[in-house]
Amino acid sequence: MTPPLLSVKDLTVRFKVRGAAPFREAAYLTAVDGVTFDVARGESLGIVGESGSGKSTTALAIARLITHHSGEVRLDGEDLLALKGGDLRRARRKFQFIFQDPYSSLNPRRRAAEIVTEPLASIGLVPKGDRRKLVDDLFEAVGLRPEQQNLFPHQFSGGQRQRIGIARALAPNPALVICDEAVSALDVAVQAQILNLLRRLQRERGLTYLFISHDLGVVQHMCDRIAVMYMGKIVEFADRLSLFNSPLHPYTCALLSAVPSVDPDRRARTKRILITGEPPSPTSPPPGCRFASRCPVAEPRCKTEPPPLREVREGHRVACHLVGDDARAPV
Amino acid sequence: MPPDPILEVKGLRVELSTRSGTVPVLDDLSFSIDAGETLAFVGESGCGKSMTALAVMGLVPHPIGRIASGSIRLAGEDLTRVPEKRMRAVRGNDVSMIFQEPMTALNPVYTAGEQIAESLRRHQDMGRRAAWEHAIEMLAAVGIPDPRGRASAYPHQMSGGQRQRVMIAMALACRPKVLIADEPTTALDVTVQAQIFELLKDLRRETGTALILITHDMGVVAEMAERMIVMYAGRKVEDGMVTDVIAEPKHPYTRGLISCVPHLAEVLTEERPDLTEVPGVVPPLTQFGRDMCLFSSRCPLADDKCWEERPPERRFGAGHVAACWHAEEVS
Repeated sequence: MTPPLLSVKDLTVRFKVRGAAPFREAAYLTAVDGVTFDVARGESLGIVGESGSGKSTTALAIARLITHHSGEVRLDGEDLLALKGGDLRRARRKFQFIFQDPYSSLNPRRRAAEIVTEPLASIGLVPKGDRRKLVDDLFEAVGLRPEQQNLFPHQFSGGQRQRIGIARALAPNPALVICDEAVSALDVAVQAQILNLLRRLQRERGLTYLFISHDLGVVQHMCDRIAVMYMGKIVEFADRLSLFNSPLHPYTCALLSAVPSVDPDRRARTKRILITGEPPSPTSPPPGCRFASRCPVAEPRCKTEPPPLREVREGHRVACHLVGDDARAPV
Repeated sequence: MPPDPILEVKGLRVELSTRSGTVPVLDDLSFSIDAGETLAFVGESGCGKSMTALAVMGLVPHPIGRIASGSIRLAGEDLTRVPEKRMRAVRGNDVSMIFQEPMTALNPVYTAGEQIAESLRRHQDMGRRAAWEHAIEMLAAVGIPDPRGRASAYPHQMSGGQRQRVMIAMALACRPKVLIADEPTTALDVTVQAQIFELLKDLRRETGTALILITHDMGVVAEMAERMIVMYAGRKVEDGMVTDVIAEPKHPYTRGLISCVPHLAEVLTEERPDLTEVPGVVPPLTQFGRDMCLFSSRCPLADDKCWEERPPERRFGAGHVAACWHAEEVS
């Protein structure tokens, strides 16, 4: 078996929400709590979850854009979390980020071509003379016209700006591209254009995607395997068909049942599992399963004992006490 | 004879003055809605969905915008002709609106209870105490736990879902004849969205309020509405029962909107064909109002006629209308 391109082990990210003072300890919010997964070369791994689940924080920590607390992130065997200074900068060419908001993630004072070559300049990867040809190729690859290279971001539509963001991410020829809600800010018609573009680029360039999204329809279309996060933990992890056709965790089931669908058959057959209430406070998470307070089938032990993430079918892992070895959903 | 519609809009034209002249952002729009009915407006940003809502609310931005012609009849009274004083009595009482972003639509310096009570005191002539008690009842009706306690909470002390519930309570406090919900759940997580939609369905059943739902999500349309109107570049391009329109769209734009989104099917399969793209973007405002089909630039069926003449609305079966020269070729 070939080793995975990206391997994340026990990644934990904490934020200080209150500083220490005399007679008072600092308080922390654990946004990502012991997250472990692998991403194979050329696959798309999706992370889904609602706001505050820790999916974006996971992505930011992997990309070294925020500070982790503990854990290990290996890209191509190299421990990213241990890198510093020049080594980290050099490693960055292997992983690039596509941001959600195409309005705030582009420098408004730079021309499109400069934005795209900026990462090359800072890494010093491609000699100046060759950059022009590279920009031409990238613009063509993402579906922008050559004469648009000299325009400023405000002269582009939202979808075009996202294309510039994609071209910039591809410029250093990365192996891993992290898409954090890359299409969420776009209108549906434009979203389809960008999703098709991302899939084509993946085929042509053998890219590996870490795809963060709250939109389950988009994730099922884009991803080969999917991790579902709730309050900083992965609660379920499975390949696409297994997760969407036979979800096991009560939270996943509720999440999937909540998605409105145009398919009348799906509407007729899906029983909506309404989860009530709000998630518990992230600064003092409950000792047991974090979903227990809202779970329709929770038992007393769910409130006290944290369920481990274990494999119940081949490639299908779930963290729920109530999923037995027969791998049947409890709801 | 069927009862008169509660709201009837005829030949509505709303113009905005821009640097390049006056443009119709709503161009000859007609529709009606019965009591207890849900009518969805769909389309991309900038197609006139929200402007329709603002026109009905008497909130067309002044002085850059104005209602140039047409009528908006609410229970027989033409709202385009009433003085602002009368409009203030109608707004929030007979017609009310739920906005997309509950954080900015609520007043941060008043408690939830005060904001609901205000509209009751103003419109229903209630005393301070009676209005406060009624506000608490409304908070209970929209499913806020501990309504008496939460009535004294400020918006920033609530979660996004709770704030949206407060908005709904406020909008429904005076039992409006028409409730306009402009992307009411776009800012919310999908499980909370499901709760809000259940709530809106229940309230509509109990109060007989007609609901105008503005959304970009076809799944939401299919789940919530009986009838739908598709808007493009300020014009109505299709109108009909949701089941008919989704099963057999007659306008290529509608077909594009339905098929460009990766939907959750009842059972997923290995196959993941590329999404159908609607190429390009909505035309700039300067092109609005031209005597042509404004969708021509993005339409696979467009021919010379489409570029030269605005297609009239044509009828296909009971209440199904589309404005396309090539409607027969669409489904």
